[in-house]
Amino acid sequence: MCVLTMAKENQIRKIVASVLGVAASSITGETARNKTPEWDSFNHLLLVSEIEKQTGARFTMKQVEQAKTVADLEKFAAQGKD
Amino acid sequence: MASASSGLPTSGGFAPATIADFIAMAKKIRAAPVSPRSGKGKPAKELKRLRVGLLPSFTLKGVGETLLVKGREMGLDVESYCCSYGQHALEALDSKSGLYKFSPDIVFLFVDLQTLLGDAFFKPYAVSDESRRNFVASKLSELKLVVAAIEKNSKAKIVVHNFEVPSYSPLGILETKSQFGFLESVRALNAGLAETFRNNSRVFVFDYDSFCSRLGKDGVDWKSYYLGDLKLSLQRVPALCDEYLTYLRTLASLSKKCIVLDLDNTLWGGIVGEDGFDGIALGPTPQGRPFWEFQKMLVALLERGIILAVNSRNNPKDALKVLREHPYCVLKEKDFACLKINWSDKVSNMKEIAKEVNIGLDSLVFFDDDKANRQVMRAALPPVLTVELPSDPALYCATLQSLRVFDSFQLTEEDAGRGKLYAQERQRQELHNVASDLSEFLAGLGTVVSIERATSFSIPRIAQLCGKTNQFNMTTRRYSEDQVKAFASSKKFEVYSIRVQDNFGDNGITGAVILEKAASTWRVDSFLLSCRVIGRKVEDAVLHFIVAQAAKAGANNIVGEFIATEKNEPAKGFYSSSGFKLASKTKAAKAPNLKAKKNSEDVELWEFDVKKGFGLPKFIKLESKA
Repeated sequence: MCVLTMAKENQIRKIVASVLGVAASSITGETARNKTPEWDSFNHLLLVSEIEKQTGARFTMKQVEQAKTVADLEKFAAQGKD
Repeated sequence: MASASSGLPTSGGFAPATIADFIAMAKKIRAAPVSPRSGKGKPAKELKRLRVGLLPSFTLKGVGETLLVKGREMGLDVESYCCSYGQHALEALDSKSGLYKFSPDIVFLFVDLQTLLGDAFFKPYAVSDESRRNFVASKLSELKLVVAAIEKNSKAKIVVHNFEVPSYSPLGILETKSQFGFLESVRALNAGLAETFRNNSRVFVFDYDSFCSRLGKDGVDWKSYYLGDLKLSLQRVPALCDEYLTYLRTLASLSKKCIVLDLDNTLWGGIVGEDGFDGIALGPTPQGRPFWEFQKMLVALLERGIILAVNSRNNPKDALKVLREHPYCVLKEKDFACLKINWSDKVSNMKEIAKEVNIGLDSLVFFDDDKANRQVMRAALPPVLTVELPSDPALYCATLQSLRVFDSFQLTEEDAGRGKLYAQERQRQELHNVASDLSEFLAGLGTVVSIERATSFSIPRIAQLCGKTNQFNMTTRRYSEDQVKAFASSKKFEVYSIRVQDNFGDNGITGAVILEKAASTWRVDSFLLSCRVIGRKVEDAVLHFIVAQAAKAGANNIVGEFIATEKNEPAKGFYSSSGFKLASKTKAAKAPNLKAKKNSEDVELWEFDVKKGFGLPKFIKLESKA
């Protein structure tokens, strides 16, 4: 299993912060969809689109549905680049 | 990508690149009231406000935000409204819908093929070719209804997407063997759309199929389509907005009118002062071809009404020799409305060009291969669009093509000839400068005035002139095309177009006259001439014509009406100096959109005895089939 580098992890967290419009420092791996009001269904699709564009990762539809936290996004992004 | 200095009030030089960037930036703009001069931003009151209505048949998000951000860069304050999901037709058809309450200036109707065709999209060959023809016809009718509703319920311009022709067919290589196959039916649908709205001045068909081809039809984001019905990938929204902005720019009258060109290494390869006439690269060689084709593309723009000018540091003799004699120099000296070839600084030259051509700096586009020149120009004259020309001349044509700043909602014959017109005007002006008096000037001009009864071809132009002529306009009555048509078909009125040509070229139709004929008195309701042709006795030739026509019909006198406005000083003394007598002043009749001077609703009535006759001025030739 491919592990994300620290730099890639930071990049994804930066993207999440930017899309959700919150401070980058407040984003952790535990940041969750159901606990973050800005993280609605549209922003979820936007997040996936941005991560794919900026990191070259590719999510499957199932992964998009299953991603519930930032850590999930990082995990799936890593898998998609194998 | 060509871009003027950014008007974005940002810090840290952040330039939006992805759709999320645009959405985030829009949030910031909307949250903060625009402060007077943060960064390079324009104060809010300088921005032109536009209201954009969006009617997509699927989930389309991010457009409003992107238009807001990109709009600011070009002086637009764009506010948008998007219909609720699945409600595009309903909101168009319901005159009380949110769309109409929003009062849009322009509406984009974006129906996707799948929504339009329903299941037939997936099983196109479940029906016969004949069935398919009928189906296409019925779909076209549906769309026409929706557009007609928008036309009826609002005054907005309407932009309708055509349909993406799929790149897949279940028939594969046999697709083109059908009598009326699936892909062909979509092309027919698109052709039908184009034909339906070809002559409708309010409705434009946006070639979405071409847009998809350019970006690649394989770039579908399937996940977001299945999960959220996003039929256009989010990352393609900025590109779509660039297309939408070509309409918005035109709507806000921000189109550019004039291209100013450097010469060395811009219109030809090399430096003529150093390499010599024979040493520059221009023509069918690999090195010369990029410049040769660049010139040909510029000629095409000239032909559709763009004005050209030169701004070059050079010895006039060297540069003009190329423009006059080089066999592959497609652009000739006569094609330019203004030539600044000297050793002055280019910024001063640019200001003079704007002044001489009589257009604003913000109507100019500047091409110069020298990066330093470009930086200086951008800093000194921000309203000029200084194109970021790539250092590789092979990319000049592509750069010119990518500039979508010359659009217009209509192109009359006069519009198309404007570029050449300005060039001819320069030559006329040069004659004026050397002629010692008016007679010599007129003799050199060789003016021919052609007066014809209004036809279906000239009526749009006559209405256009009624709408925009301010200076030599006796009564400034703003008539619509329909009103002009009504006058022209009435037996009690005569409508004439006035066309002016001379030794330097054809100005086209530049004036109009509307007369009301009673048995003994002819009333001049409207008498107007474009400011381009005043001061050269054209107005006298027209008056001669009117008097002659009245005499032929047996009328006794002519009554010319004059209504003073803030702008028609040049027309004020004309009747008086032509031998008319002021008969009376009366209150203005209920003329539409009258632009009378404040506190003055007086119509002056000037009378002329037809028996006196009015001579045709010397040096003017009058042609008429009336």
